Amino acid sequence: MAEKAEQAETTEQGWQVEGAGPDTETIAPNSQPEKKAEFAENVEEAKPAKIAEETPDAEETPEEPPEPGIFDGLYSTLFGRSWEMWVGCIILSVLSIGLFLIASPWGSSGGILNWGQNLFDAAGITSGAKPLLESTYGMLSILMLIGALGSALLAKEFAIRVPPKGEMAKGLLGGILMGIGAIIGMGCTIGNFYSGWAALSGGALVFVVGLFVGVFIAVKYLLWEMENHPGLSSGNTKTLLAAKTDQTSLQPLAGVAVLGIGAAVAMLYNGGIASEKILIGFTLIGLMIGVVLQRSRFCIVRTLRETFLTGDSEPTAGLIAGILVGMFGFTIIKIMGIGGEMVMVQGNFWVPAIVGGIIFGLGMTIAGGCTVGSTWRAGEGHVKLWFALIGLITFLPLTAEYIKPAFMDMLPAAMKQKIFLPDTFGYTGSICLMLLILLLWYIFAKWNEETGKLTAL
Amino acid sequence: MVNTDETLDCKGLSCPMPIIKLAKTMKKMPSGKVLEMLGTDPGSKEDVPKWCKKTGNEFIEAVEESGVYKFYIRKK
Repeated sequence: MAEKAEQAETTEQGWQVEGAGPDTETIAPNSQPEKKAEFAENVEEAKPAKIAEETPDAEETPEEPPEPGIFDGLYSTLFGRSWEMWVGCIILSVLSIGLFLIASPWGSSGGILNWGQNLFDAAGITSGAKPLLESTYGMLSILMLIGALGSALLAKEFAIRVPPKGEMAKGLLGGILMGIGAIIGMGCTIGNFYSGWAALSGGALVFVVGLFVGVFIAVKYLLWEMENHPGLSSGNTKTLLAAKTDQTSLQPLAGVAVLGIGAAVAMLYNGGIASEKILIGFTLIGLMIGVVLQRSRFCIVRTLRETFLTGDSEPTAGLIAGILVGMFGFTIIKIMGIGGEMVMVQGNFWVPAIVGGIIFGLGMTIAGGCTVGSTWRAGEGHVKLWFALIGLITFLPLTAEYIKPAFMDMLPAAMKQKIFLPDTFGYTGSICLMLLILLLWYIFAKWNEETGKLTAL
Repeated sequence: MVNTDETLDCKGLSCPMPIIKLAKTMKKMPSGKVLEMLGTDPGSKEDVPKWCKKTGNEFIEAVEESGVYKFYIRKK
């Protein structure tokens, strides 16, 4: 009898431990010891994992390394080190194709504009904003932020990083400029570049020319500032809530919780709040985009800026890979008539695109992140980019309300055309043109990297 | 432990400021000297070794201590 009882106990133990598997599926290995310890306490077979956390048993830890769990490999692949930019770009394009199938492709400034409009409405300054819960892009941006936060926590890369005062001012100024540029140009680096190029928009091509000009000027400024006003980027800094390296960090566990809450928000959104049920996919994809952005440190500023700094061509190659995937996906969706042909094509050819591009390029380089770069870095805890978001939240709506109407009225129709490349070149011709542009850009980036003709560092 | 000749504090800064500061500091350092660079931007974990490789400076090692990344670089 006693033997049987013992057997039953072990089976129970075995089951319990196994049962912990699915639970810890998305949890980082670091949190496993705690989980195991909890179970162990129940079955009176306590391993000192939990105790070790409180009483520093540091000498013992190296002798008895925790058994590698079955998810350790998965964790280190996903969260151990950053993903290559091209990996991130390709996944982002696939997700963006998903967004297009559901509603419309990935965009970023529209969402932040919606946040701002709602805040201004709440303050009684403006009225008529689309409620946040009804704004697909507003919700998308929120879930991108949550996704990036969860991902940074999981990777133990979250910390509130307070930079010197000058940097915070640059974040704010950069955000303000991006807010003005994105409205004047009718899109940011996503809608007017990453998605805009894939959507074969003529205005988007011009926007990037403007971006390059703005980035070039801002890089010159940053180098000048470093020589003449080094104080702006030095001074008191603080780093709060960073993951401690010498003990088990709770960050991964918090990351799982944050992503879980994000997913729950997306599900609840479906449960009656969203007018279209299909939008659950939209918001869930937003959460995934946030994770991919943080893991791949997706940065369009870097792609353009490094032309004039280090010459690194990897970000350019990554971006080109992503645009290629997006372009083929979008084109199929458009040709098949699943999504509108003119989606992501704006009436900004060519003056609004070039003016907006220059202003946006200046802003994103000074801030150190475009709209989406500011969003995920804000989630990772960079206070400078919190200020960039504040600049965006205030100046996107202000520009839309007070500057854009006057600016657009001033322009003759020929300067604000809606150019969809296939209208002029056909689909085949447009794809060939885009392939040629991307190829030439790649060759240029490689040449610049080798020769250092345009680089400063 | 690495013996360092100079320390560059880039804590709190985000991309691209750490690399711009690093390039500026390294320019002034005599050959063979070792720089200790402190930073808190996770992007630096990839960026600093990459920059060293590109510029030919020797990347000695990186240490992480509770959210602060320490990089040791020998000027070529």
